[in-house]
Amino acid sequence: MGGAEVNKLQGAMWKERFLTGESERSSSRWLGLPERIDLYRIPWIRPLLYSRWPQFLARALTLAGFIFTITAGLLGSRVGSHNFAIIFVWIAWWTALKLAFIPLGGRSWCSVCPIPLPGEWLQQGGIFENSRGRFGLNLRWPKRLKGSWLQSGGFLLIGLFSAVTLTDARVTAWVLLGLFGLAIVLSLVVERRAFCSYICPIGGFTGIYAKTAPVEVRVIDTAICAAHREKTCYQSCPWGLYPLALRDSAQCGLCMECLRACPSDNIAVNLRPFGTDLAAERRGSRSPGRLDEAFLALVMLGSALAFSAVFTGPWGALKAAAFAIGSPAWLLYGLGFLILNLAVLPGAFATAVWAGQRWSGAKAQLRSAVAEQSQVLLPLGLFAWIAFTISFAFPKMNYVLSVISDPLGWGWNLLGTANTTWSPDVSGFSPGLQVALLLVGLAWSASVAKRLAMTNTGRALRQMLPGLAFCLAFSLAMLWLLVG
Amino acid sequence: MRKEWIARSVVLVLVAAAITVPVAAWLARSRGIVMHARMAETGGWTPESLTVEVGQPLHLRLTSDDVMHSFAIGKSDEPPVDVIPGEITEVTLTFDEPGKYTFYCTRWCSVNHWRMRGTIEVTGPEAAAEAVEPPLYVTLGLDIDAEHHADVIPERKPSASLGAQLGADIPSEYQSREYYRSHSPAELWKALRAESSLSGLSDQEVWDLVAFVWQSNTTPQDLSVGQQLYTTNCAACHGETGAGDGVFADELDQPKTGEHAGMQTGEMTTAPTDFTEPEHVLAASPAHLQGKILRGGMGTGMPYWGPIFTEEQTWALVAYLWTFQFELEDGP
Amino acid sequence: MRESSSRWLRGWRWAALASLALLALFLPLPVNATTPVERTFHIQASQFAYTPAVLAVNPGDRVTIELLATDVVHGLSIDGYELEATADPGQTARLTFVADRQGSFRFRCTVTCGNLHPFMIGKLQVGQNALLWRGALLSALVVVAGLWGARK
Repeated sequence: MGGAEVNKLQGAMWKERFLTGESERSSSRWLGLPERIDLYRIPWIRPLLYSRWPQFLARALTLAGFIFTITAGLLGSRVGSHNFAIIFVWIAWWTALKLAFIPLGGRSWCSVCPIPLPGEWLQQGGIFENSRGRFGLNLRWPKRLKGSWLQSGGFLLIGLFSAVTLTDARVTAWVLLGLFGLAIVLSLVVERRAFCSYICPIGGFTGIYAKTAPVEVRVIDTAICAAHREKTCYQSCPWGLYPLALRDSAQCGLCMECLRACPSDNIAVNLRPFGTDLAAERRGSRSPGRLDEAFLALVMLGSALAFSAVFTGPWGALKAAAFAIGSPAWLLYGLGFLILNLAVLPGAFATAVWAGQRWSGAKAQLRSAVAEQSQVLLPLGLFAWIAFTISFAFPKMNYVLSVISDPLGWGWNLLGTANTTWSPDVSGFSPGLQVALLLVGLAWSASVAKRLAMTNTGRALRQMLPGLAFCLAFSLAMLWLLVG
Repeated sequence: MRKEWIARSVVLVLVAAAITVPVAAWLARSRGIVMHARMAETGGWTPESLTVEVGQPLHLRLTSDDVMHSFAIGKSDEPPVDVIPGEITEVTLTFDEPGKYTFYCTRWCSVNHWRMRGTIEVTGPEAAAEAVEPPLYVTLGLDIDAEHHADVIPERKPSASLGAQLGADIPSEYQSREYYRSHSPAELWKALRAESSLSGLSDQEVWDLVAFVWQSNTTPQDLSVGQQLYTTNCAACHGETGAGDGVFADELDQPKTGEHAGMQTGEMTTAPTDFTEPEHVLAASPAHLQGKILRGGMGTGMPYWGPIFTEEQTWALVAYLWTFQFELEDGP
Repeated sequence: MRESSSRWLRGWRWAALASLALLALFLPLPVNATTPVERTFHIQASQFAYTPAVLAVNPGDRVTIELLATDVVHGLSIDGYELEATADPGQTARLTFVADRQGSFRFRCTVTCGNLHPFMIGKLQVGQNALLWRGALLSALVVVAGLWGARK
């Protein structure tokens, strides 16, 4: 970032105190807790974040695990339920991602994800080096390809081939290898973590759902930043972000490099109320939504419906169609899947937003209204995916234990758990749990809708209702698919 | 700088372990014999042939790459062993006699399941060449592919117990095992019908006598063994009720479907025989049925069980097949 | 005065919402009393579907499932009932039980039968699916709660 741009930012912001949402009456206030708890100031946490070793060890382990997964997928038994690759990627890691990493930590997986590591280490010229762009072409990512459009497309691709990818160990291994290779190649050509920001499909939805999560990295005192010329935080960020300008958590990968680089120790890792980035007020006006994020949010909803139908429904013909790649039945399935995600849901949502705008007499353009109101879909989608993951993965948890002892399906029994047949009795609590989660997501979405509507126009209710009808319809559909 | 090298070493060691452990295990594994089972369409048994010496234990580790299979040795008392997808089952075999043994899958895994076979060559000092007897149908000169049908068929299913109750005097030549094996029920009926001492009986009662003669040539033990064999090996095509309506029957009925139902060899197949249909079955002798079972069908898709069933098993199965035509249980 | 009356109103509407929610959760569904009958279902299992895949019975019915495998060995076990059956092609397996628990239960294949085996699923519907109805009602109430509870 050149000196001229930095000065422009300074000029715009140096006098203002970056609001941390102190004007919001949030649940933490109500509970008597401070609005933000800076984890970086907590004595036993600080050294864990400041030192690069804990993070490095976690990364080394995930990298080794990732390589082992690929090897197991390529060499091990082709029977998916007995192969480490299938079970650990699509059951263990996926569940951890959806139930812990994202809802509780936002983009926390990205800070230990192994895929970009070799590329990043090459770019830096070392593991503990902190310079960006030492090796490689370091080209700028083309502006036209910025945003999460490619990530949405990537996720749709996953959906089209999901029946085979999720069940064939070789295919999983090749997909992971492909992503790995792509990340390395991109790191040598483009600047920083372009793969993570613009291509990785996981990064796409992790990013938008990170806005609901209770963790963020923000600067503390903007005046200090204004006086600092070098902006070492920006220099060190592998994601190409400028911490002072961070408005929401969708792009920040929680790598902590900026914390380490700041000479004034002016950056905080805050524990914050859930959903703070949603419909948040920044200096008296709503942060504008992004159309690409809106589209991704809708793709996530459509995919939740499709995956629920294919994987947890009783419709054998649908599963067979999704599985028989290349056949006419699969083309039909693919067509249906794409129509749902590209036409039906975006169309329905846009119509709902339009209806709300007309009915309440709001003035905003449809494009920006859709972008802004798509934030309502985030809690909805997050909890739909959590519920789906529970429905999908819980009955198969025993495979995780047995595959730890016999990762390749070759009759090993390393830890004695190879023949685990016990599975949590899903019929008891699982359906109720899924319903409860869908309800939480829906309630939260309604509350975000209200927050959005309150400042836009006086007739808040009218503006919200069509959108809420959309959310309710989606929830009912998920309910029926999962527990009906 | 030192910590950089420590870090790099940590990564190298962990990644190297992640790769070499599975690869080394994979290489080591090919030293023992791991028998992979796949549906016949995608490869069958791998390896398909093994060699071992007489008296030397052959240790096999069996696993399936797709669906449930099982492993058994033809003409042997060894119980079948399930071959489970993704898991390993171990079996140790020791052969006392040299020769060629067939191993096969005993749990239906596709329409071509019966083609899932391999051989174990057991080498050793040549035993005295055993005279191999040809099957009975060959000795008799039977053409088991010829058209056959019964001129007269019973009105209802003949009952052996009713036949026993008749207390008729059946000439002893018709009750011998040789006669039973080489003549069809229809032939016996004709012979009995011509007997003057039985002329007072109705046609149906003569059929009951035929059923009685058939029953006297089998034991409940035979029927039980035969039923077990039928259920495991035959019912999938010929149907649980013997009516030729098993789960694979439609696939095999190529003249009806007009296409090759994905058979590996590109052979023609026809619908499986309906054993409940008296016109054809009553005109076949046990030797005829045994022949079909041993040799298989030419251009019909019927498997050949010669290497798999012992002679006793084959006769027991034949005995059971007659229960589709006759009531052979004891008692009224 | 106005402030306190609007707070009073707010308190009351929350109480009303809570009571509706409790009703939705616990009110027993209207039940058509049916006499339990014997039902038999012939289910064909193939890769990777059951035909029929959705079985509907009344609570208390004595259900017999005849499982016919049509291509490879398949199994069947019903979530929530301690039952399992395995069927080889040509050997129909039978499972008999009394459907005493109401709701919607998924049944799954228990013998690895190929790639999509973990997703070979059918549904047993016993009586009414109370959970679905309650969930749907609560969804509507929850939207209202979210609207009221949102803070600026």
